[in-house]
Amino acid sequence: MNRLNQLPTLRIDPAVNHSLTYRGRTYQGVAGDTVATALFANGVRIFGRSLKYHRPRGLYSLDGECSNTCMEVDGIPNVRAENTLLENGMTVKEQNVKGSAERDWLGFMDKLDWMMPAGFYYKIMHKPAAIWPMAMKQIRKAAGLGIISADHKMKGRYDEQFLKAEVTVIGGGAAGMAAALAAAQSGRRVILLESRPHLGGCFDYRVSTTSDGTPLHERARQLAEKVKQTTNIRLFEHTSMVGAYNNNLITAFQVGKADDGFTECYIEIRSDSVVVATGCIERPLLFDNNERPGVMQVGCAHRLARTYGLLPGNAAVFSVGHNPGLEAAVDLFDLGLKINCVADIREDGQDPALLLALTERKIPVLKGWVATKAHGSKMVQKATLCTIDGMVKRQFSCDLLVASAGLTPVSGPFILAQAIMGYDDHTGYFLPDQLPEKMFPAGRITGINDPDAIETSGRLAGLEAASAAGADLWTKVAETRNALAAMPGPERGCKLVIAPVKGRKSFICFDEDATVKSVKQAIDQGFDVPELVKRFAGVGLGPGQGGIPGHNLPLFVAKYTASKETPKPTTVRPPLVPAFIATYAGYNHHMFKRTPIHHSQKADGGIFRNIGVWQRARYFTADVDCKEEILNVRNNVGMLDASTLGKFRIHGPDALKALQRVYVSDMGKAGKDRIKYSAMCNDDGCVIDDGVVVKRGENDYYFTTSTGRAGQTAEWIRYHTRYDNWDFHLVNLTDAMGVINLSGPNARKVLTKVVDIDLSNEAFPFSGYREFYIQDTIFTRALRLGFVGELSYELHVPSSYMQAVWDLLTEAGKAFGIRNFGVEAQNVLRMEKGHIILGQESEQRTNLLDVGLGFLWDRSKTVARTVGAVALRQAANDTGRLTLVGIRMEDDARPARDGSLIVDNKVRGYVATMRRSFTSGEAVGMALVESQLAGAGTRLEIFEDECNGVRIYARVVPMPFYDPEGERMKS
Amino acid sequence: MLGKRKPLWGKKKRLKSSYDAVIIGGGLHGLATAYYLAKEQGLTDVAIIEKRYIGLGGAGRNTAIVRANQRTQENVPLYKEALDLWPVLTKELDFNLMFNNCGNVNLMHSEAAMKAARMNVATAQFHGVESHLIDAKEAKALVPALNISEDITYPIHGAMYHPPGGIVRHDAVVWGLAKGAAKQGVHIHQQTEATAIHTGGGRITGVETTRGRISTNRVLVSAGGYSAGIINRMLGLRLPISVLTIQAMVTQPLKPILDHVVSSGAYHCYANQTLKGEIATGAHMDPWPNYTTQNTAHYIKHQAEALSDWLPCLRGVKFMRIWGGLADMTPDMAPIMDGNDPVGGLYMDCGWGYFGFKSCSAVGKYMAQYMATGNCPDILKPFHLRRYENHRLMGETAALVNYTPDN
Repeated sequence: MNRLNQLPTLRIDPAVNHSLTYRGRTYQGVAGDTVATALFANGVRIFGRSLKYHRPRGLYSLDGECSNTCMEVDGIPNVRAENTLLENGMTVKEQNVKGSAERDWLGFMDKLDWMMPAGFYYKIMHKPAAIWPMAMKQIRKAAGLGIISADHKMKGRYDEQFLKAEVTVIGGGAAGMAAALAAAQSGRRVILLESRPHLGGCFDYRVSTTSDGTPLHERARQLAEKVKQTTNIRLFEHTSMVGAYNNNLITAFQVGKADDGFTECYIEIRSDSVVVATGCIERPLLFDNNERPGVMQVGCAHRLARTYGLLPGNAAVFSVGHNPGLEAAVDLFDLGLKINCVADIREDGQDPALLLALTERKIPVLKGWVATKAHGSKMVQKATLCTIDGMVKRQFSCDLLVASAGLTPVSGPFILAQAIMGYDDHTGYFLPDQLPEKMFPAGRITGINDPDAIETSGRLAGLEAASAAGADLWTKVAETRNALAAMPGPERGCKLVIAPVKGRKSFICFDEDATVKSVKQAIDQGFDVPELVKRFAGVGLGPGQGGIPGHNLPLFVAKYTASKETPKPTTVRPPLVPAFIATYAGYNHHMFKRTPIHHSQKADGGIFRNIGVWQRARYFTADVDCKEEILNVRNNVGMLDASTLGKFRIHGPDALKALQRVYVSDMGKAGKDRIKYSAMCNDDGCVIDDGVVVKRGENDYYFTTSTGRAGQTAEWIRYHTRYDNWDFHLVNLTDAMGVINLSGPNARKVLTKVVDIDLSNEAFPFSGYREFYIQDTIFTRALRLGFVGELSYELHVPSSYMQAVWDLLTEAGKAFGIRNFGVEAQNVLRMEKGHIILGQESEQRTNLLDVGLGFLWDRSKTVARTVGAVALRQAANDTGRLTLVGIRMEDDARPARDGSLIVDNKVRGYVATMRRSFTSGEAVGMALVESQLAGAGTRLEIFEDECNGVRIYARVVPMPFYDPEGERMKS
Repeated sequence: MLGKRKPLWGKKKRLKSSYDAVIIGGGLHGLATAYYLAKEQGLTDVAIIEKRYIGLGGAGRNTAIVRANQRTQENVPLYKEALDLWPVLTKELDFNLMFNNCGNVNLMHSEAAMKAARMNVATAQFHGVESHLIDAKEAKALVPALNISEDITYPIHGAMYHPPGGIVRHDAVVWGLAKGAAKQGVHIHQQTEATAIHTGGGRITGVETTRGRISTNRVLVSAGGYSAGIINRMLGLRLPISVLTIQAMVTQPLKPILDHVVSSGAYHCYANQTLKGEIATGAHMDPWPNYTTQNTAHYIKHQAEALSDWLPCLRGVKFMRIWGGLADMTPDMAPIMDGNDPVGGLYMDCGWGYFGFKSCSAVGKYMAQYMATGNCPDILKPFHLRRYENHRLMGETAALVNYTPDN
C-alpha cells in the first residue's frame, strides 16, 4: 500500500523499513508503525476473532480500547497490536481462531447467538450432572484469548523508578503540555506523562487551526518543543498511567525505547497535586454489526491517514455526532478518500464552517441520520443509514464506515482517586461531582473542543495545581479563569444512545461479545443496574478494560429501564491500562537479613532456609537427620550461629515495671550475675515469647527474645505500657550483636583458649552471666544456658566482631574437632531435653500452663497487671485443654511423623516433634494432647497421614528424655 | 433458554410490616440461610434486607476458591459438607454454579511448613476428606508452570494436594440462591438499609429500615464485613472483629494454563484460572484495619513479584483488574456463629475473614436450622461468641494472628 509519505503530521519514518512475520510471510512496515498499522499497510484487515461468536475483528479505535487487535507477538499473548510499536523481526500470530483470522472454522458460532443469551451458561450444561465436567473442558478451551506456554521466559529488562513531584500532569496533549508549562514556570518540579510515544494528543494529527491560524499539529509540535526545553519538566513519553491512590500516589509504566536500557519501567510518583488532561476517546455508535472490520472510529481513521500515512479505505460513509467527525471527513477527503455520505446524528448545531467545507467538496450531508447497519460478511461493503426516528432508510456502498456517537472523557484517573461521579446533562459526560483533593481537570475532558480554550484550560489547571503545591499564583489563576470563561465552553454532547435497531448484532462490548439484546435480557431478569448487568451479561470485563462499553452501558440501562435517576457509570479499576506482571515485578526484590557470618556459614557448607525475615543455615551436610552434627554436640563440641535471636536493652527508672508487665515471672528477681528465664503471654494467656533477662546494673536490663518475635517486641512493650507514662528506654540490639552458641562437653576447653577469665563451674556456673573482653578488645556478654542440654556458652558480641570471634573459636576448637551445627540439629538436641520452641510445641491457642511453663508465672505479682494473668487464672481450672507431654513410641524403630494426629474416635491432639534419638535409640518426642490423656503411661493412638487405617501407638512418658537431672548442662 | 425472561428473583416486592424472620445482608450467607429456611425449615415469611444490591460485597469480591482441608476437626466437617453441597445446590436450584473441582495445590517451602501441612493432611484424611502431601516434582507434574528450581526466594519443598477442592462461580451462587429463595417466597429487598434493630425484654422485636419498620422476633445479621459494626451500633455488643481490606486481581484471559488452584503461604499468593481464562490471584491483607475497599499501590506489585518467582511464565501476562473487599477477622481466624445470646432472637453469622465463600452453603443450612428451632446444631456449637471471653480460641491457625502483612 502506498503511504501518504509527505504529510507534516506523520509519526513514521518511511525511509526506515522494519519487517515482521505473520502467517509465515514477511511483511514490511516502517519505523514508527505499530504492529497493527504495519499489517494494515500490507492489506491485513481482520486481526482476530471475537471471544464467543468468532466474529471477524479489525482496527477500531487505534488506542487499545478493545481486544480487536490483541495478537500474539513473539510468544507473548494478548498484545494490543494497535498501540505496540513495531520492532524489526517481530513474529505475530492471530489469536482465538481455528484456521486463520481470515477463515475461521468457528465462524459459524455467530449464527448460534440465539443459543447464547445473557447468562446462558448458568442455565444449561448441568443437567444431567455428568455432562458438566465435559462441558467445562470445552468452555475452558473456548474461553480465554491468547496462549502462554508453561515454560515461557519473558525477555527484557524491567526497571523501576520511585519519584517525587510537585505537579504531575497526566496526558501530553495540548492541555497537558500547557498545564505542565504553566506549573513549571512557577518553579515547581513537574512530571508529564503521555501514553502515546509522542506528545500532541488530539492536536497531533489535525490540520484545523487555532485562532491565530496555526495548524493544530504545528501548535502541538511548538508546545512539545517548549516542554522538552523546560528543565523542570520531566517528560515520560510512551508512559501509561495505571493507578491513582490516596494522597496522589500515581503509578504508571513506561515502554522503553531502543536506547533506554530497559524494556519497560514501573513508575511510582508521589505528587503534591495532579492535573488530569487525559482527553477524550470516542463513544462507540451502537448499530448492527458496529464492529465489522471496516467500521472504525473517527480518530482511528483520521490518525491512520495523518499519523501513519495510510488511507483507511477507498470509499467511505461517515456516521458521526460531533464536529471532529465532520472535520475528519473534510480532511480525509482532501487526502484522497472518496466519501459517499456523511450522516450527522445532530439535527442542528454543527460547525457552519465544516458544513460549508463539506458542501464545497460535494459531500452529501444528512442531518438527523445515523448508521443502522453495516453489511458485508467479513468486511464492510455497504451501510444502511436511517433517520434517527427509524422512519427513512438509505443504503450506500462503502468499504469504510467511520462511526462515532461523539466523545467521552477518559475519566478513569478521577474514579481511581475515589471521585464520586455524576452525569453532566449538557455534555452527556460522566464527570466528578466533586473533584478529589488537589486534582485538576484540563482540556477536552471538561467538554470543551475549541483549541484555544483547550490550551487555556490547561494553563489554568497547571496554575491551580502549582498553587495547590505551594506556589502563590492565585491572581494568575483568577485571570486565566476569566480568560477561559470568555472562550467557547463545553459543547452540547450528542445524546443518541442507540441507532433505531433491535440490537441482536449491535455490540455494546466487543471483548465479551455482549450485544444490546443480551443487555436487555439481563435487565429483564432483574439485573437492572449497570453494575449487575456488567456481571451477568459480561460487559466491560475484557482486555479493553471497559473502554468500549464504559459510557454506553449506563446510558443504555437508564434508557431501557426508563429510569428517572441520572445514569451512574460503572466502576473503573486499576490498572487503567493492562500492564505486564514482569513490569509490576520490576527488580523482584528479595529482602532477607543475613547474619554477620553468613558468608563463612555458606563456605562451611551451610544449607540455608528463609525463616521469617532471616536466612539461616539449617544443615551442614546432606544428611537431613543431622546425625553427625548432633552427636558432635553430645560428645564433643559444636557451634551454632544464633545471631537471629532478638536482643534488647531496656533501661530507665521504670524499666523493671515494664518488664513486670510483659513477663509472667517476678522480674524483680533478675540478678546481676544470673540469668532469669521467663515468658511473655498475650491477653488470652497464650505464650508468645520466651527468653532470658539479666540485670546489668541499676535500672538497666538486657533481654533476649525468640527470633520470630524480635521485630514485634518493642511495639509489644510500648503497646502494653501506653497508658502508664513510664520512663524507660528500649533499644533493639538484634542486628547490632551476633550470637554464638558454643555447646558440648568440650565447650569449656575451647573457650578457655580464647578468653582469660576463670571459666570453672564454680566461677561461672550454669545460669550465670558474665561480661568480659576477648583479646582486650571485643566486649562479650556470656550466658551459660542449656537449651541443647550440654555445657553451653552463649556469646553475644558486636556484629562487627562476630566473624573474628567465630574464627578464634574455630581455631581453638580444631584440636577437639569442633564443627558447625545448624537449626535442625539444635531442634533435635533441645527436643531430647524437653525444651520447647514456640510455634513448634505450641500453637496460637496454647497457653503458658499448657506447655508446662506454669512455674514461671508469679501469681502474687498483682500490681504489675501482668499481660495474660487474667486469662491464666481462668484457665487454671479449665479441663480438656491441649497439654504438652513427652511421648515414646511403643516401637522405637518407628517414630511418628511430626504433625501426626492423636486420636480415638475424635482428634485428641497431635505430635509436635518426634525423632529417634541418636543418643538413646528411643523414638521420643513431644505432643499436645487433651489434658485427660496427659497422665504418665497413657497409651496414645496415632493417626499418620496415608496410614490406611493402620494406627501406631505411643505412651506418655516423663521428660526430659536426655540427662534428666541436667548434670551435663550444669557441669 | 428461549421465551420470555422473568426477573430471576421475582418482581420487586412491597416491604411488609412484619416477617417471621429478617436477614440483614444480601450476601451469600444471608441468601443461603433464607433459602434453607424456606426450603428445609418451612419458614417462608422471610425478608432479606440489602443496603445495595445482592452479591456486591464479599460475595462478588472473593476469588471463589472452595476447599475442605482446614486444620481442625471443628472446621473440616463443616467445610466438607459445604464442598459436597455444590453439586446438590446446582441441581436443586436448577442453576449452573459451575463447580470446577480441579483440586488445590498448596505449596510448602520449608521442612517446618511440610510438618504443619502434614497435620492438615492427617486431619483431612481422618475425616474422610482426600488430601495428600506431595513432593516438589509431583507438584510440578500437576502444575507444569511451577518453578521448582532452588534459586527462587522460597524454593518449593512440596505441597498439600487436595483434589476435591476447586472453584465455584461466585456470582452464580448469589443469583442461584436468590432465585431459589425467592421461588419459595422469600422477599429480597435491595436498596433497603437496616437502620436499627429493636429489642424489648431482652428479645428482638423488630428492624427499622429506610423503607419502614418491620416487626419480627428473629433477626440474622450476616452482613459480612459490616456485621460487627451493625451489631455494635444497633445493639451495643462489641465483637472481637477487626475489619481489613483484602485485594485480589485478574490477568487478561488465557487459554488453559493452570488446571488447579495453586497457593503459597510463604509468598502470600495464590492463583487459579477462572473458566473465562483469567488468572485470579490474591492473598494477604493490608495490615491496617479499615472499612474501605480501596486498592493500594504495592499490593499489585507484591503479587507480581511473587508470581514472577513461582509461576514465571506469567511474567508475559498482563494484569487487567484489581479490586478490594473486606475481611472481618477474629482473633482465632474462625467465625462467630451464635444465636439467642445475649439477645433472644438475635442470630449472628460473621467473622469469616476470607473463608465466607467456601462455607456459605453448609452454614446457610445449619443457621436456618438454628433460627427455625432455636437450638444450635452440634456442628455450629464450637463457633459461639463466648469462647473469646473464656480465652478458649479455636486452633484454626498454628501461628499467632496479629494483623500484620504476614497474615
